[in-house]
Amino acid sequence: MPLSVILAVGLIATAVNITGSDSPKEVVLVTHDSFVMSKELVADFNQTSGYTLKLLKAGDAGSLTNRLILTKAIPIGDAVFGIDNTLAGLATSKDLIDGSLVPTNFGDVCFNYDKTWFTERKLAPPVSISELTLPKYKALTVLQNPNTSSPGLSFLAATVDIFGDSGWESYWRDLKNNEVKVTNGWEAAYFTDFSGSSGKGAYPIVLSYASSPANEVRSNGQSQTASILDGCFRQTEYVGALKNAKNPNGAKALVAYLLGAKFQASFPEAMYMYPIVEGTPIPESWSKFTEISTKTYGDKLDINANRVGWLAKWSAIFE
Amino acid sequence: MWAGSILFFGVLFYWPLAQILSIGFRGNWLATIATTKIASIVWFTIWQAALSAGLSLLFGILGAYLLYHRFFSGQKFIRALITVPFMLPTIVVAIGFTAFRELPVISDLWRVNSGVPIIICANVFMNYSLAVRVIGGVWQSLDLDLDEAAALDGAGRLRTFTSVTLPQLATSIASVGSLIFLYCAANFGLVLVLGGASVKTLETEIYRNASYNLDLDKAAGLVLLQTILTVSAFMIAQRLSKSGLAFLSTSTMQQRPRIDRRDLPALIVTGVFIGVLICLPLASVIWRAFQVENSFGFLNFTNLGGFGARDLLSISMGQATINTLRNAAITTLVSMSFGLVASFLLSRPAKDRNHSRLQHFMDLVFQIPIGISSLVLGLGYLVTFGDGLFPLRSSWLVTPIAQSLLTIPLVIRIIYPSIKVIDYRLRESAQTESASPSQIWWLIEVPIIRNVLLMASGYCAIIAVGEFGAANFLAYGDQATLPTVLYQLISRSGAQNYGMAMAASTLLIIFATSVVYLLSVLEKRTITT
Repeated sequence: MPLSVILAVGLIATAVNITGSDSPKEVVLVTHDSFVMSKELVADFNQTSGYTLKLLKAGDAGSLTNRLILTKAIPIGDAVFGIDNTLAGLATSKDLIDGSLVPTNFGDVCFNYDKTWFTERKLAPPVSISELTLPKYKALTVLQNPNTSSPGLSFLAATVDIFGDSGWESYWRDLKNNEVKVTNGWEAAYFTDFSGSSGKGAYPIVLSYASSPANEVRSNGQSQTASILDGCFRQTEYVGALKNAKNPNGAKALVAYLLGAKFQASFPEAMYMYPIVEGTPIPESWSKFTEISTKTYGDKLDINANRVGWLAKWSAIFE
Repeated sequence: MWAGSILFFGVLFYWPLAQILSIGFRGNWLATIATTKIASIVWFTIWQAALSAGLSLLFGILGAYLLYHRFFSGQKFIRALITVPFMLPTIVVAIGFTAFRELPVISDLWRVNSGVPIIICANVFMNYSLAVRVIGGVWQSLDLDLDEAAALDGAGRLRTFTSVTLPQLATSIASVGSLIFLYCAANFGLVLVLGGASVKTLETEIYRNASYNLDLDKAAGLVLLQTILTVSAFMIAQRLSKSGLAFLSTSTMQQRPRIDRRDLPALIVTGVFIGVLICLPLASVIWRAFQVENSFGFLNFTNLGGFGARDLLSISMGQATINTLRNAAITTLVSMSFGLVASFLLSRPAKDRNHSRLQHFMDLVFQIPIGISSLVLGLGYLVTFGDGLFPLRSSWLVTPIAQSLLTIPLVIRIIYPSIKVIDYRLRESAQTESASPSQIWWLIEVPIIRNVLLMASGYCAIIAVGEFGAANFLAYGDQATLPTVLYQLISRSGAQNYGMAMAASTLLIIFATSVVYLLSVLEKRTITT
């Protein structure tokens, strides 16, 4: 018998052993990749609830939701954090959640611009998303493909809301004619194309989050970037217990903890998001560089029902 | 032994694949792929991969000539350096490639909105070393007497190459060519990160449909197309390499000739190629690692001791490093032992027609994982190994096992051609001295391919260290590896996270260079038989 087969059988046997000794005290939280929970908070949860928290990152919010749908019968965890309002309809219609999804936090998807770039050229930065189609801002904007990126889809929904069913396609055609660059993911847009980040790219306007400028504070105490507070999409994220979970009580305890004061207070610093519970303190250093828009767009639309149709039309323009 | 191999691949690859595809094939998959749009995606997948493989081979043959057939000092370091890109996470490749924006001519390529020229450059960047090493591995052990005989007959070097050397290298060229083709056809990370919205390959379409649209009908249809593509590439490679018959040196001391003036054109082309396409992006990443807000410093490296800006990371870099090395060790062990057994079985002289058919079929069975979407395999693991006989899903072992499936085909493609070219007379004379097949294998063949084995282990180790897809898909939070941690850092805005990601990439670069360099020091300069 070849060594590899012996090894394989050995490995599988070990694996079975490991899972066989699963303690019922363990509770698994499935999250998107950007979830952050400090060691102190994990320890605090374990101590106060008596459970042992295990975190499972399952891709971005879109992949996360789809993996949960695929594994519905035997879910990969007990509770889920990170399904947002672009995906909540899908998750609910697929009957993933035990009870209902509970909102935990929110943030705005907005354009950011590089203040230094515009100052050096003595050009006024755009103040609205309609201006992005003007000749003076030609080839200055990078944004994300709504087919493969969650901020991309959020902005698409915002444009449908703002320009209406009859107008949004022509807005995107104008954007295309004004030579916007489209990347497939946020990372490439922000870190290789945007001029205001450490990547020092060639595009001074990027689709990102209203909170991003708080992370571009330079040694002079000023942020190099700012948000365009027009045409923003209000992204709300949810937590929920999963159906068929191994540890339903642990899941409930976890949901309650994420809505509790300690965890809510950690949202701004850890995840660059606003806590949903009113009255939760926001650190001053953070609120100094981020603003929330007074009016947001697209979040009231039925994204689940329209997504496929919007994406097909968008793709017809860009692909 | 065949049964063992079939069991291993059957349970860990074909079964989960069948599970996930069967969901899709229940639907109307045929209608979703029989469209002109899909046809153009297939066509783009093929031509970009073929062009990338062709360019890698072209520069690779030149590189193999200089780095394995000639001799100059510093060779081993260069061989190690060119291997690094093979393991780099794609977002790091993308960041490294932004260095080209500063260069004339090439910056125009960057501006092409579709990103196709950059994708092809990046494919060549990542796969060049594979061509150099596999072809070079055979080249360095070819019998030099034949070259000299040809030279005495008045043949020039080019003539000697085309009429004497090239036929002997055919097996390795076809073998590595098909391998690179399949890697380029199935690499979705590079295409996603470098390409615009209009660039689509089979793999990116599978990713979109399986991961975002949950359209498993379409994904299953696309995987079927991928399988056809993989099998065809493999068949073509087999056909092309049939003519190959090489003569290995049987002399105990074979000194490679030093480079001389007539090598200058090859030297210039390869020098510029390595300098611009390989070193520049790597240097750019390292340079960024030392940038602390427009000045030079080590802050990014000292930050690696922490958990990122605002404690972004849930595990420390040290813990991630331990996870990564542990996975890499298991992956290397499993894939080397399995790859060696498989290569042994495949390379035995066929007893009859049926035996030969079995070998061809099994070769295909081992090769297919390279061309198949690892995302689909990952989804297959999720639906298959949840409970029942093998609840692998929640064990950390799932990551190295999945990584082994990715490296085994590569190990076979590296080892198998070099066993194929071992002079059959060696085997025959051993047989007449009544040596058993296993004695011949362990005492004669394995020592001859020792260098190749070292090279294959090196590749396994660095692939496992740099592997992102399976690790990100399957590893639990406390099981994160260096590349997954690196992605977490870079998925957040802010200079500190970006700097840490660059510093971690620099450590990956140094790690890969040292591993491959150390292995090459272990290599024997000459082949003793």
